[in-house]
Amino acid sequence: MNSIWEVIDKAETGAFMEEKDFDLKVVARLCRELVKEHGIKYDPNQIVSADDSMADDVFEAGMKLALEAGAYCIDTKRVIKFDEAELKEALLSAPKSITIGEGKDSRVLYARGVEDPRPAIICGGQAGAAIPEEWYLQMAISYMKEPLIDMINNGGLAMVEGRKVRTKTPLEIQACRRELTMLREAAARAGRPGIGFIAAESSVSALGDLAIAHERYMRKSDSHLVALLNELKTDFDRISKVVNFTEYGAFNCTLVDPIIGGYAGGPEGVAVCFVASFLLGRAMYRSEFHVCHPIHFKYMSTSAPECMWNLNIVGQAMARNAPFIIMGDVWTSAGAGSEMVFYETAANTITNVVTGSHPLGVSATNGKYPHASGLETRFMAEVAHAVARSRMTRERANEVVVALANEYRDKQGKPDIGKPFPELYDTRKVVPNKEWVEVYLKMRKEIAEKFDLDLLY
Amino acid sequence: MSELMILEELANAVINGDDGKALENSKKAIASGIDPLRAINEGLMRGMAKVGEDFSNLKIYLPEVMMAAEAMKAALNILEPEAVKRGGAALKKGKVVIATISGDIHDIGKNIVAMLLRANGFEVYDLGRDVAVDALINKAEEVGADIIGASTLLSTSMPYMEDMVAMLKERGVRQKYIVLVGGGPVTREWAESIGADGYGDDGDEAVRVAKELYHKVKGQ
Repeated sequence: MNSIWEVIDKAETGAFMEEKDFDLKVVARLCRELVKEHGIKYDPNQIVSADDSMADDVFEAGMKLALEAGAYCIDTKRVIKFDEAELKEALLSAPKSITIGEGKDSRVLYARGVEDPRPAIICGGQAGAAIPEEWYLQMAISYMKEPLIDMINNGGLAMVEGRKVRTKTPLEIQACRRELTMLREAAARAGRPGIGFIAAESSVSALGDLAIAHERYMRKSDSHLVALLNELKTDFDRISKVVNFTEYGAFNCTLVDPIIGGYAGGPEGVAVCFVASFLLGRAMYRSEFHVCHPIHFKYMSTSAPECMWNLNIVGQAMARNAPFIIMGDVWTSAGAGSEMVFYETAANTITNVVTGSHPLGVSATNGKYPHASGLETRFMAEVAHAVARSRMTRERANEVVVALANEYRDKQGKPDIGKPFPELYDTRKVVPNKEWVEVYLKMRKEIAEKFDLDLLY
Repeated sequence: MSELMILEELANAVINGDDGKALENSKKAIASGIDPLRAINEGLMRGMAKVGEDFSNLKIYLPEVMMAAEAMKAALNILEPEAVKRGGAALKKGKVVIATISGDIHDIGKNIVAMLLRANGFEVYDLGRDVAVDALINKAEEVGADIIGASTLLSTSMPYMEDMVAMLKERGVRQKYIVLVGGGPVTREWAESIGADGYGDDGDEAVRVAKELYHKVKGQ
């Protein structure tokens, strides 16, 4: 597998290309051609597909895209290309399992299969959100005290000590260190000192990541996100993050978030782009695991039907052909405190768990408002475990997911954004208040009975 | 070819993103004596309305919108000067300076909005990504912009939008511009709180708000 040195060399010596040409003449053209060549088709009535051959087609098309397009380095305007042997080596050397966290709080994060009966690893937190410093600690505890949550990926800080955090300023360093300090404190208070993290969410540039590569903040059993920029792009800031964490010894995780409606085209082109992104992410960033986050051009939410179809077909394409460890995001339009958030969470989680990914969420309101808590993520975990325990088939999952999506798809443009965390929890005891528990119990019962989900109690 | 057919061909050229056909039918329109403003409104703009609608319904995607905007530009290069030559005023188009604000390199959302604004007849100066506040304002001053648009996907770049409004005031030019903001973490309430004039939850809303405010402020 290529070393990071070789990746840097490729970024400096690859073929020169204008960015607009890469977007339109390479990515847009190839995605369109490959979708047509392989006959890949999105069907809104088959959000969870049982078509193995289509999953294989998506993989084959994604491999071709990765080979032909490569990745574009924005800083040098050069294309980082890998040949077939390099990509296959990256693929074959990808770990099938890693241990996240320490001691009794550690978990084995593994490459899930299609209709995998093993319990999924539950990653909790409102990833992507800007959470007020005043109750960041309590909110983090609300996730960590949930026994079904295995690891944490919470939001970042928009302010530190009353000062607004601006990217690439000294406050980015302060925000990252404060975030990690509070996550460690939350873990200790929740009695789970070894729980694994994906952090720091406050690290936008490499500056933040550099500031936390120390045992006081990040352990070597923790991980950070390195994005592949839209679409199939990187820059020296991303590569610097990789260099730093590779030498430090913690895990690299590729964040892939193509936009449905963007350069890759519709749901089908985005699926092809996803596979190429995972392969290139592994080859460029040496990532041990990956986050699958399709973005809907209007609603953002991964719970939009087109996005769930992507999670489904990409998860299956990878599980069948290149077992990577993949976490599928659960980003809802609705917020905690609403009823709608449960429908979206259930549909998104069932899709992920049945088709090869572990659920990561719930990032309620798409992280736009800090309207989130541990309770809706407990529900995500309960659904995930019920699905695996019952060995839910893709056919059954599709019936349930389509029915659930019908409950909310028309409301995603104007969702119920719920309430902020302090209005949902007693923040001194860090327990959900009576009103929020009642909504949870009502929706849990309704969804379990309607779709025959065995949530155990 | 009848006038109606030429107008239909113009609309189709935009819908299909065919700049060659757009050029050809613009010339045909002039040769046939069609009022250039009518060719623009009943041909090009009608095609663009369909493009916007199809994009909104995910029937077409960003590359197709970009091609349609190029076709429209090619046709306008023929039709606009002809309109002026015939004694009409030059088309009054709003000028927009747009960028992904400082600290953020995510630009696809901004690109979508820029394309949709172009498609709706605005003259758009897209400064790209990670653009400093003063660079954005300087460009707006240089081209005599009507609208300044700033986008970000990062909560840690949102303060730069606030800085932008403050700097416009500090330089005594705030009243000259309609300030629009948007992007993943940006909310309507936050936009109001920093004194922006408008906010778009998605591309469609951004364009609608831009048009409404432009017509209101400029009386166009």
